[in-house]
Amino acid sequence: MLNLLLQEAASEAVQVAAASTTHALGAVGAGLAVIGAGIGIGLIGGKAGEAIARQPESTADIKGNAIVLAALVEGATFFAIVVGLLFALK
Amino acid sequence: MNLSLLHNLSLVLAASGGEGGEGGHGNPFDYLFGHVVAQPSIFGIHLPEVFGMQIWNLQIYQLLAIVLMFVAFFPVRRAITAGSGGFVTKVFAGWVAWLRDEVVYPNVGEKDGRKLLPMFLSLFFFITFMNLLGLVPYGATATASVFVTGGLALITLFVMLIGGMMAQGPLKFWVNLVPSGVPGYLWPMLFVLEVMGLIIKPFALTMRLMANMTGGHLVILSFLGLMFFFAQDSTAIGWGVSPLVVGMSVFMMIIEGFVALLQAYVFTLLSAIFVGMCLHPDH
Repeated sequence: MLNLLLQEAASEAVQVAAASTTHALGAVGAGLAVIGAGIGIGLIGGKAGEAIARQPESTADIKGNAIVLAALVEGATFFAIVVGLLFALK
Repeated sequence: MNLSLLHNLSLVLAASGGEGGEGGHGNPFDYLFGHVVAQPSIFGIHLPEVFGMQIWNLQIYQLLAIVLMFVAFFPVRRAITAGSGGFVTKVFAGWVAWLRDEVVYPNVGEKDGRKLLPMFLSLFFFITFMNLLGLVPYGATATASVFVTGGLALITLFVMLIGGMMAQGPLKFWVNLVPSGVPGYLWPMLFVLEVMGLIIKPFALTMRLMANMTGGHLVILSFLGLMFFFAQDSTAIGWGVSPLVVGMSVFMMIIEGFVALLQAYVFTLLSAIFVGMCLHPDH
């Protein structure tokens, strides 16, 4: 009887494990995509900082531009995240 | 914070032996985000079918956003022409003027901008109100649904195509897609690329807005789910973690408020740029 219970639990576990490879890879992909966003937005922030240091009177212009460009870079990242989520939640 | 809610949930989680799922699709998810998911019923009332089409709960929130727009902008016309109105009206009037002078006229030109200004203003404020309604208690973000943002991007696509064909002539519009001065053997490939770009731009608008709105809610769901995950072991740990979790959720909601306005601005700015590129191609 214990054998039967163990067999059932093992088969269920195998089922869950088989499904979770797709889930795991989807989650890993979604996480890796954030590396691109981090690099992109970091570069934008660094260059914006340098530009403000060179010309403090155009701070407002540079700040507005930097935020909009960061939003665009994030938009590209969200494609990859949505695809990863699609696989992780299937 | 609803004290009885947490207590009820802890009882449910303890009884189900942790099967309900902490951040997944068990009972905590229903309590936290049951009203956010697109469904044909709102607050327990099943919505009717109109002309054979089912009304969904997100449509009620869209209608609410439109009503809010009318309420907010009803006195703005008088404020711009006569200068009357209270502080809030003047804020909205200034917002409208800023959009006209910084977003629409530089990208679309003054002549066409005058005709298309109502569309861009409606787009911006509709998206803003929909995004902000999602942050209010018992509110749902209609723009978190890919169908709603797809519909808005379709509006932009139609204005791009129909406006471009009306401004330059139906055939010249497609010919002018490819920059001039391109050698003959490259022309077909560039034409295909440009048409693909024409389709991909509204698609990017859709995904950007949808993913930004959904992502914010998902992060908050994960944080709040942590609280229930810890409450599985013992209610005391759940209560102990809750100040931290609720604090982080409030912080995330502040960021989400900023992202709501920013994404509406990015959507409108990119729509204006795309429509301007179709109406007046520089090449």
